[in-house]
Amino acid sequence: MIAVEGLRLDYRTGIRRVRALDGVDLVLRRAATTAIVGESGSGKSSLVTALLRLLPPGASLSGKITVEGRNIMSLSEKELSASYRWTTVSLVLQGAMNAFTPVLTLGRQIAEVLEVHRRLSRTEAMGKAAALLEETGLPRSWTARYPHELSGGQKQRAAIAMALACDPLYLLADEPTTALDVITQAEIVTLLKGLTRWRGLGLVLVTHDLALASAVADRLVVLQAGRVVDEGPTERLLDAPGHGHTTSLLEALKTLEASDHD
Amino acid sequence: MNLLRRWSPWALLLLALAGLIGPRLTGDAEEIVAPPFARPLWLDRSAPPNRHLLLSTKDLEASLDWQWGPPAGFALTGTYRLPEGASARLSWTGPEGSLVLAELTGAGGRFALDGRDIAFRLRLGLSPFQSPLERLFPEPGPYRLRYEGTTPPEELAADLHLSGGRWGLLGTDQRGRDVFRLFLAGIFVSLLIGLAATLLAALLGTTAGLLGGYLGGAVDGALMRLADLLLALPLLPILMVLAGLWGRGLWQLILILGLFSWMGTARTVRALTLSLREAPFVENLRALGAPTWYILGRHLLPEALPVLLATVTLGVPGAILAEAGLAFLGLSDPRLLSWGRMLHEAHSFGAFTAGAWWILLPPGLGIVTVCLAFLDLGRFLEEKADPRLREETP
Amino acid sequence: MTYWSRRLLGALTVLFFVLTLNFALFRLMPGDPVASLIDPRFSPESKEALRKAYGLDRPQAEQFLLYLKRTVTFDFGLSFISGRPVWQELRNRLPHTVALTGSALALSGLIGTFLGVTAARRRGGLLERATLTAGALSFSFPSFFLQLLLLLLLAVFWPLFPLRGSVSVPAPQGAALIADYLHHLALPVISLVLLSFGSWALYVRNLMVKILGSEPLFLARAKGLPESILLWRHAFRTALPPLLTLVLLSLPGLLSGAVITETVFSLHGVGRFLLESIQGQDYPAAGGAFYLLALVTVASNLLADAAYGMADPRIRFERERRR
Repeated sequence: MIAVEGLRLDYRTGIRRVRALDGVDLVLRRAATTAIVGESGSGKSSLVTALLRLLPPGASLSGKITVEGRNIMSLSEKELSASYRWTTVSLVLQGAMNAFTPVLTLGRQIAEVLEVHRRLSRTEAMGKAAALLEETGLPRSWTARYPHELSGGQKQRAAIAMALACDPLYLLADEPTTALDVITQAEIVTLLKGLTRWRGLGLVLVTHDLALASAVADRLVVLQAGRVVDEGPTERLLDAPGHGHTTSLLEALKTLEASDHD
Repeated sequence: MNLLRRWSPWALLLLALAGLIGPRLTGDAEEIVAPPFARPLWLDRSAPPNRHLLLSTKDLEASLDWQWGPPAGFALTGTYRLPEGASARLSWTGPEGSLVLAELTGAGGRFALDGRDIAFRLRLGLSPFQSPLERLFPEPGPYRLRYEGTTPPEELAADLHLSGGRWGLLGTDQRGRDVFRLFLAGIFVSLLIGLAATLLAALLGTTAGLLGGYLGGAVDGALMRLADLLLALPLLPILMVLAGLWGRGLWQLILILGLFSWMGTARTVRALTLSLREAPFVENLRALGAPTWYILGRHLLPEALPVLLATVTLGVPGAILAEAGLAFLGLSDPRLLSWGRMLHEAHSFGAFTAGAWWILLPPGLGIVTVCLAFLDLGRFLEEKADPRLREETP
Repeated sequence: MTYWSRRLLGALTVLFFVLTLNFALFRLMPGDPVASLIDPRFSPESKEALRKAYGLDRPQAEQFLLYLKRTVTFDFGLSFISGRPVWQELRNRLPHTVALTGSALALSGLIGTFLGVTAARRRGGLLERATLTAGALSFSFPSFFLQLLLLLLLAVFWPLFPLRGSVSVPAPQGAALIADYLHHLALPVISLVLLSFGSWALYVRNLMVKILGSEPLFLARAKGLPESILLWRHAFRTALPPLLTLVLLSLPGLLSGAVITETVFSLHGVGRFLLESIQGQDYPAAGGAFYLLALVTVASNLLADAAYGMADPRIRFERERRR
């Protein structure tokens, strides 16, 4: 279980101070899918950054993050890297945005986490990387490919393979389907759902897309201006929104669907 | 205004004024004023200063207290007239005895003695290759120049000039010219060549950029290919060959430098023109049937002007450095006093063995200062033209 | 067209341009073109013979073709000054110029890269500020001024290094010769490194700052990788292709610098040979030296291109697929 209590995040740019998260309380469970929904600027990406404690200089974070009973806020940067990031919580970013390092092969980028965190040899790690690619539906031989040789959807599969490398307990997926075409979106969503069930992962889906969120998630968390304004099981929230913002998001969705049907 | 708060415009103004007025106040830079490699006055108190000892009809004796090692030069000139049948001499008396400098014979005439004259050396009993100064100034102490004769002269005017090892604000160079005057004279050449060559380059570059950007197609392709070509070649060897073949005068240098440094401006202007070409107001003008030259000259050029100004300013250091480089290599007109030329002469004619750093520093620091000033000014103009840049530079 | 054929064609275009420029410059001078090719002190008969040999009695176009053929085979004619073939003189000097520029480039690249990476990692630190200042200064410092100062300080006032020459006179034998050569080369190389490491460091720093703030590096940090892997495997490898472009762009300037450096330190190289030829109006020698310097630039450009292709998979990939 990831328990977040009173999480505050401030960015300092010059003399201005921007509050990105304003007292967020949240519970994320394993073997379940939680969607964090919000418009751009609502603080949802900041939340992802904060959960991994990957903050840019000038940012200050306060509050409590407990993961499987461990207090994450008290870990040093070294401990975070050695025993928390990727091994407990891993991350999938928007695939079409080039999140891979362009000059390294996919195999290398997947294998290196195994070498670092699981102390595997280069060959063992490469073998495991190939298996991971296969698990996400890519040919094993693609370990030798470079990111630019892949399409957006393929890149996203590779990113998921990389995220699964160290058998994390939680997977944060930040807008994993944005900038993909509709069919590819559906494929990626199916893949993520299947893996969650298969591996008993806690999937945290961060998206602005309420339709996607309601199709995938067991629980919804609605974020607005750095605060959690609504939260609950997906069905209940859709039937009886607890906050005006959820209602307006739903309204927008309905208008969109209506215009699609025209 | 912000511009006035920066150091660079003031530094440039000061230098320009010094370059314009300085030479008029200090005199001809080519004049030989002191022995070669004389140190600056303020530098070395142990080196002797310049001194004159004068004799006249009334004053037949002059003395001085010499506290230094031998001076760098010893020159005695003058005229005399003696009564009928008289004979006289000029003597030099020091702590170790007396020497006869000149016998004055006949009714009158002139005399001119110099430490460098072989006859003078021989008269003092030295070999032609021995310097007489050690003999004339064996040790510190009182020295006296005296007229000694059977009768007083009817007329006498003698001037003994002892040139010391010290001169002026910045000493002298290998020919005994005043380094400070040379430095002042160099300002003019450096600034003139830097500005004129850059303006020429800007003119060429703007034309090429506007034409290429606006016309596109084959013209653009050819111009940009040419720019790439020139950028891919080592500039200095080209300049050297051209300076060697075409001549080394002021205007040739400006022409050569201008011809080979237009590429950067052309690229900038081209990029700007390309982005402006699609702007609605330009399209409207085209639709209205405005001729190409009108659109280019009346609308695109003024839009490009602020960026152009910054590019030109940033280009000046390059031209100044290139001119200085050519001059340093000795590929400029020897009559053209520039900072690069000063460094060339310092390097070629023994400033090193003399340890004469005061010849090196002024022109070198002058070049650095001017370049830094233009860079500073250019960055300021660049920020004015494109405020986004301010965010990126820390 | 593929990346490689495009590059090769580009290099050939530059070469052709240089050849044309060289042909035109030395022939379009005022006066008899023969004067620029044949030693004026030769007897009329031998002048006539050489005029035939160079094809100066044929039309310009034919002369140009002949010139191309001769230049490509490094036949630049006889030097007026030494009377020996120009290529022999140049071949003798080329290794010295390559040793000077090559070691200066390698050293300033290494030092500049290290400083730039460190400055990018510790932003706002003393090292970063020093790097920025050194970079700004290197754009406005005339090379010869710094070199003259170094000579004055380290060869005259405090004679650690020799004042002039590539080797001592008389030259020592055996291993001592190498040591002596390196001793003579040290100060010129140091001066060139001092002149260029600042702009290198500045460029590397700016590049690294940009890359360290990019999405891939964010993800790499999320992967819990150690700092050294982040910095060198991910960030620096990404920066490598543009850095190689910088090598490419800095080569012409470096060779220009070599001319001045060889003059200041009286080194036995192509640059000083060019200067002496120009000063002595030894036109065949000047033309040959100029062509050789341009050729070295073009060749190193091509090499840098190849290295760029190796470093950037996006280009390597293109090459493999076309094969």
